[in-house]
Amino acid sequence: MNSDGGGASEEDRPRDDEILAFHHAIRAADAEKLEFVGDKEPLSVLAAEYEAGNPVFRAKVEKLGQTYVAIRRARGDGNCFFRSFMFSYLEHILETRDETEVKRIQKNIEQSKKALIELGYQEFTFEDFLSIFVEQLDSVLPGRESSVDIDQLVEKCRDRYISDYVVMFFRFVTSAEIRKRAEFFEPFILGLSNMNVQQFCKTSVEPMGEESDHVHITALSDALGVPVRVVYLDRSVGADGKNTDVNHHDFLPPDCPTVEMPPVVLLYRPGHYDILYTREVQNLAPVPRVEEPQDLPELKGLQEAKETPVKSIQDANSTQEAIAA
Amino acid sequence: MLDVSRVQKELVEIERDKNLSGVSIAICEDDLARMRGTITGPVGTPYEGGIFSVDIHLPSAYPFEPPKMQFITKVWHPNVSSQNGAICLDILKDQWSPALTLKTALLSLQALLSTPEPDDPQDAVVAQQYLRDYATFVGTARYWTETFAKRGSLGLKEKVAKLVEMGFSEDASKSALESCGGDENGALEKLCSG
Repeated sequence: MNSDGGGASEEDRPRDDEILAFHHAIRAADAEKLEFVGDKEPLSVLAAEYEAGNPVFRAKVEKLGQTYVAIRRARGDGNCFFRSFMFSYLEHILETRDETEVKRIQKNIEQSKKALIELGYQEFTFEDFLSIFVEQLDSVLPGRESSVDIDQLVEKCRDRYISDYVVMFFRFVTSAEIRKRAEFFEPFILGLSNMNVQQFCKTSVEPMGEESDHVHITALSDALGVPVRVVYLDRSVGADGKNTDVNHHDFLPPDCPTVEMPPVVLLYRPGHYDILYTREVQNLAPVPRVEEPQDLPELKGLQEAKETPVKSIQDANSTQEAIAA
Repeated sequence: MLDVSRVQKELVEIERDKNLSGVSIAICEDDLARMRGTITGPVGTPYEGGIFSVDIHLPSAYPFEPPKMQFITKVWHPNVSSQNGAICLDILKDQWSPALTLKTALLSLQALLSTPEPDDPQDAVVAQQYLRDYATFVGTARYWTETFAKRGSLGLKEKVAKLVEMGFSEDASKSALESCGGDENGALEKLCSG
């Protein structure tokens, strides 16, 4: 942007509103291609995407199919991690009807709210975003006035107002967690950028459209107490140059009981996150938590039936973990 | 849709500690999307003693989009256009976040007056002068402050005196003038109607 010229440079330089208008035009063009969250598609669409592509990708996509069956794409507008997390988590609650989990996360939300206030954020800057997320949590539980089904959930998550508000709430929560545990996060942030924790939060977490990586995921997962699995689809191969196993990493919040499969499973391709579905969820009716089977006794059979595929996933995971380690 | 309730909360907050913060905001003609901000020049800078008006326009997607801000008072500063008051500041562009507020944006403008960033200039002429001939830059900036940012405050006293002569109290006249961005006729209308 520097220029030696006199008055002319000011005319050459696009004005701020022109730059913003340009950004909007790009986003609008993206929006026409894909909603904030797309439809659930069979994993075969990924295979088709790489049909003529890199052989490592092709091999990995095939292996992905052993554990995962479907994908739901998120729009690549820099908020894809947060939008994917939002949908994946809400869908998980909708399917499990897990009121205990909602009560648990609400406690964490309160903790985040406290942290934000202690860090000097004014309540009015985040309270609307917070309440929109709490509304969504309420709506995915059964028997509420606002209860939604999966189609309505999809619709809500495609609504700009709702989606942006929830994304912004997550950005607040992420920022608060990083600032609160600055000592823990600082080395990771220094590894990513030349910024200190404060600057990082201001420039890479709080503005909409700033992309997320492991720092953001760790912070959000820890703050809300929600385990997240990220499956990495990239061109990396094992030390022998041949191993094309798909690596994944489970982000497990402290004090979190071990889970077979985190409620939020995301597929990461360099620069982008989408939602993944395991075999387990596919074609299964909502299953209540084990401690409350009296709610839906007729589902007991289904729960038993799903045990076989779960086992195979566990096997696949332990193999992957062994290789990753 | 402009988030009206959020904007109103922000205005209350700014009003609450405007004497401490050195920044204030007044709404123009009952349109919540149009405002006028005021910044006091930071102490120890060529802008000290000046009062700078900023035109603020809220886009309908606020707070998801940054407020549009532009200096009304002429300012000699590398990151402000000496022609039209356009401002070059990251948080008014891609670094904006709904976590920021009108108050924090005005405080950032105030901070920008203290610490110019001549490497990312809005006004190339001013930036060149700042880098190559700092003494002249300071002199010009101070002269502009004296000429453009202080006349307003002198004028304000006269305007208040005028309104007091018409029979309104000094405090009411002052606040009416402030809320109208110093416009006498607007202030008079406000005083008569309220």
